[in-house]
Amino acid sequence: MIDFEFSDEQRALRDVARDLFAKQSPPSFIRTRWNGERDVKLWRALAEVGLLGIMIPEEHGGAGGDEVDAVLVLEEAGRAALPEPFAETLVAARLIQLHGDKVLSESWLPRIASGDAVATVGRETDPFVAYAAEADLIVLIDTSGARLLTRDDVKTKPVRSQDPARPLYSIETKRGERLTLTTPNSRAAAAIAATQLGVARRLLEMTVDYVKDRKQFGKPVGSFQAVKHKLARVHAAIEDARPAAWYAAYAFARDLPEASKAANVAKVAASRAEALANAEALQCHGGIGFTWEHNLQVWLKRGLALQPAFGTPAEHRAMLAREEEARDA
Amino acid sequence: MDLSYTPDQTSFREELRPWLASSVPRDLAPPGTREGFEQHRVWERALFDAGFAGISWPAEYGGRALEIVSQAIFEEEYLLADGPERINVVGEKLMGRTLMKHGTDEQRARWLPRILRAEDVWSQGFSEPEAGSDLANVQTRAVREGDQWILDGQKIWTSYGAFADWIFVLARTDLNAERHRGLSFVAVDMRSDGVDARPIMQLDGHAGFAEVFFTSVRVPVAQTIGEINDGWSVALSTLGFERDAPARPAARYERDLGELIAIARARDVWDDPSVRDAVGALAARVETYRLHTLRTLTRLQRGESIGDDASVTKLLWSELERDIFEYGMSLLGPYAGALSDSPAAASFDNRYWYARAATIYAGTSEIQNNIVAERILGLPR
Repeated sequence: MIDFEFSDEQRALRDVARDLFAKQSPPSFIRTRWNGERDVKLWRALAEVGLLGIMIPEEHGGAGGDEVDAVLVLEEAGRAALPEPFAETLVAARLIQLHGDKVLSESWLPRIASGDAVATVGRETDPFVAYAAEADLIVLIDTSGARLLTRDDVKTKPVRSQDPARPLYSIETKRGERLTLTTPNSRAAAAIAATQLGVARRLLEMTVDYVKDRKQFGKPVGSFQAVKHKLARVHAAIEDARPAAWYAAYAFARDLPEASKAANVAKVAASRAEALANAEALQCHGGIGFTWEHNLQVWLKRGLALQPAFGTPAEHRAMLAREEEARDA
Repeated sequence: MDLSYTPDQTSFREELRPWLASSVPRDLAPPGTREGFEQHRVWERALFDAGFAGISWPAEYGGRALEIVSQAIFEEEYLLADGPERINVVGEKLMGRTLMKHGTDEQRARWLPRILRAEDVWSQGFSEPEAGSDLANVQTRAVREGDQWILDGQKIWTSYGAFADWIFVLARTDLNAERHRGLSFVAVDMRSDGVDARPIMQLDGHAGFAEVFFTSVRVPVAQTIGEINDGWSVALSTLGFERDAPARPAARYERDLGELIAIARARDVWDDPSVRDAVGALAARVETYRLHTLRTLTRLQRGESIGDDASVTKLLWSELERDIFEYGMSLLGPYAGALSDSPAAASFDNRYWYARAATIYAGTSEIQNNIVAERILGLPR
């Protein structure tokens, strides 16, 4: 039966995540991360309420959920601009569980669920891997599979990063254990798309609040149509993209053949919505949004950093054109 | 979350598809002519006789009494079968749903069964020369005389207005009340004395709509839908029904996209990366729109009303439609100037122009953006 809605439990989990992120990871906390100090208490807190094990089977210490359970939490992680490899760890754990053997699952999943291990995901073809130096395990994916790299297999070199709370590293690697994956890139792309939507929503929320408050010509700037229409279009773009992120999650959870295409759509749509939100948020904030002090930049930069993650929008559009071609032929 | 169809929905689709394949008429005259209009009426009646009119309407009004998802399945299959334009759409989607929400038992019993049998084809009397986007500025007046309204004024952009049997009219019934307050929603028989409908030729050469003049038309007060002077809230329901998703199957845009690729191939530009990039971008929007309609169906199925979110839906489909056809036109290159000898289908030109009207009818994009900004985002007026 067509029911494109979340369960009460799924929404409750989102609320738990939202409250925790707001309390444990406010902008002031994110700014300490910018100075290079990673405070592990946030990661511990995520583990304590079970957020790191959403998709990890119960036998390995997780909640035994799937992508649909995770997608709203990922959106919240973007909304909070969480300064941790949250989406990356969730995806890495899922890839190990689905494609690794029993030994691999047993050695990594309980440690990830408990917060003792941090994992990240990257692509062989990309020059950088986010959070590589913080990670105990890197899942480095290519077109047909992935290599699993532990700390001993990797030398990392920090890159000056646009978003210092999502630090990039160039890496030198040894061989690493090999996994064969079915849709290696798209699972990560779908998780990032959900995160991007959260970023877009936060940018819109901050901007709506600002234009209601900021007065020029004797009235709130949000009463001018030129401003209203910009923000209405951002809202429409976000509403356009959200069901795509949810559907990609559903398609992976059910292992549907169209999962990979769904991820392409989700990444293209979320990137479009986020880019528009990013542009209009800064424009509507005016000068104050361009300052170091204002927290808008936390989300402007996270948004910028996620655009190319696991495939630029252009890459995903090209893949969709190929899909259309195949359907048409 | 579950996005699969029930066995009943699947068997409904399996029953419908072959019936449409063998029953859809192929060469009706355009509905902008009297002859074509009556041919389309015969087809509407055939749909009813086969049990395919009013899929989600209650059985007592001649409907099939299925849920909203089956209604959407019908729209999708109808489109894929290339069914003719539905002249009954205003009655089935707008007046029917409005009566179900705001009509009295008597009004429903009187009009609803006649809608699906295509005995009454309805048209919509909202817009006026001075009341377009500013709909509350309606000037058409109904002055009460005993148990009758005396109706005077003019409506415009009335789809099927030249040949429809009935029209629902938003008219001013209290001249002293504030703009939105003094309006009533009145059903008018177009065969009444004093009703004069004149077709308007569109820029694509078709007569799709009309202007309708009312001169001292006598209308029973009992034909008022909802409370007297509360016509604005009734009209808002009607506008919501016009903007929400189920009437717009995403399948039409999937097909349009296939046509774009065919044009690109015929023009030998399909391997141009910029073309593939643009088509990939449109493909993503077609799919997100499909998913958006599933979300709307879920909400309707749960008994939620779509409310102001219908404005988002309208923005999404109208701008997608416009962008698909504008891109298709640009793909035609030098053939864009030709109405014959073109790699595009013969109907392409007509659909292109209609796509450019999509951001105007059913409330312009500017009005939808105002609604989103003020009522959803809460920005000050």
